[in-house]
Amino acid sequence: MKSEFQGSLLRIHFGESDQWEGKPLHEAIVAKCRELGMAGVTVFRGIEGYGTSTRIRHAGLWSFSRDAPILVTIVDTEEQIRKLTPHLDAMVQEGLVVLSPVEVIRYSPSDNKAPQEKAR
Amino acid sequence: MLKPGKALKVSIYISEGAKHRGVPVYSGILDFLFYRGVSGATVLKGVAGFGADHHLHSANIVEISDQMPLKIEFIETAEKINEIMGKLEELAGTGMIDVQETTVAKPAQVSKPNKSVPPEHLRIEGKARMMRIFVGESDKWRDKPLHQALIEAMRANDIAGATVYRGILGYGAHGRMHRDRKLSLSHDASIMLSVVDSEEKIRAFLPLVEQMVEEGLVVLSDVDIIKYAYRGHEADSGGVQDNAEL
Repeated sequence: MKSEFQGSLLRIHFGESDQWEGKPLHEAIVAKCRELGMAGVTVFRGIEGYGTSTRIRHAGLWSFSRDAPILVTIVDTEEQIRKLTPHLDAMVQEGLVVLSPVEVIRYSPSDNKAPQEKAR
Repeated sequence: MLKPGKALKVSIYISEGAKHRGVPVYSGILDFLFYRGVSGATVLKGVAGFGADHHLHSANIVEISDQMPLKIEFIETAEKINEIMGKLEELAGTGMIDVQETTVAKPAQVSKPNKSVPPEHLRIEGKARMMRIFVGESDKWRDKPLHQALIEAMRANDIAGATVYRGILGYGAHGRMHRDRKLSLSHDASIMLSVVDSEEKIRAFLPLVEQMVEEGLVVLSDVDIIKYAYRGHEADSGGVQDNAEL
């Protein structure tokens, strides 16, 4: 099944060591997205980068104290995204939030031929 | 140099042991063709056959026959063949020569073509489209990881380039949580493919995406290409230029 709509893409950049209420910030954002019923969210870890504080972030393979760049990507309707942004103002203390208009095509398995392996 | 289009294919049937002025006929003919600038020739060895003398020649394990049939094949333009046919008939001796019309679809090349003109997809600039495809790492397409199949499909369609990202955390359509666990073997992380190409290219590729992605999200946005540089000469062994050779 295919559905198409005009939506928004929100990208949030910050560091892996950033925290919110004692939790890693990216986990807190994912939890917030669930709470608000956002369609989906994906978190990526960068291998190198620098941000507002101009400190170089590096994901060293053996370093335990990592501070790699983190990118959280959320795609949803603009209305849904707008629900999230006020929360981000509080949660993201240092970072970047980027919003762009996008065309969304969503594929979901049709009900009559729901593949067995997808039923998770 | 042979060009695509009409040409003639010459087959010369001789016997392996046949000699002309003390040298095997096939090597005499091959040398002759080489020196006359024929673009290429192949000598094929038959395993059995019979000729004008009606003696059956076959490879026998006990005695190694030197009467095995040989076939020399080459393709050239009609003019060239007219030019060399007289001498060829003499060289072939008792053998048979057969000429057929043929069409050269793609001539052989001495070396890989030096692409001085960048392929079309390397010249995109300015306004373009960015396509992001969100799928799960364990999604399959014909027993292959879906993201890998998508990349292959993009290469085959001359899409300028694609990058696959693995997420460390996320959830999608079913609310199933994808989490990257360091030591787990059954990975089901979120995967994002990111592609930049012209609007037409992306549009033309969408039906294929639709076919391959059962469950997932495709997001299109407008982008400006600021710079798309490629190293034309070093690209022989990989890189974006590889796409063009598929």
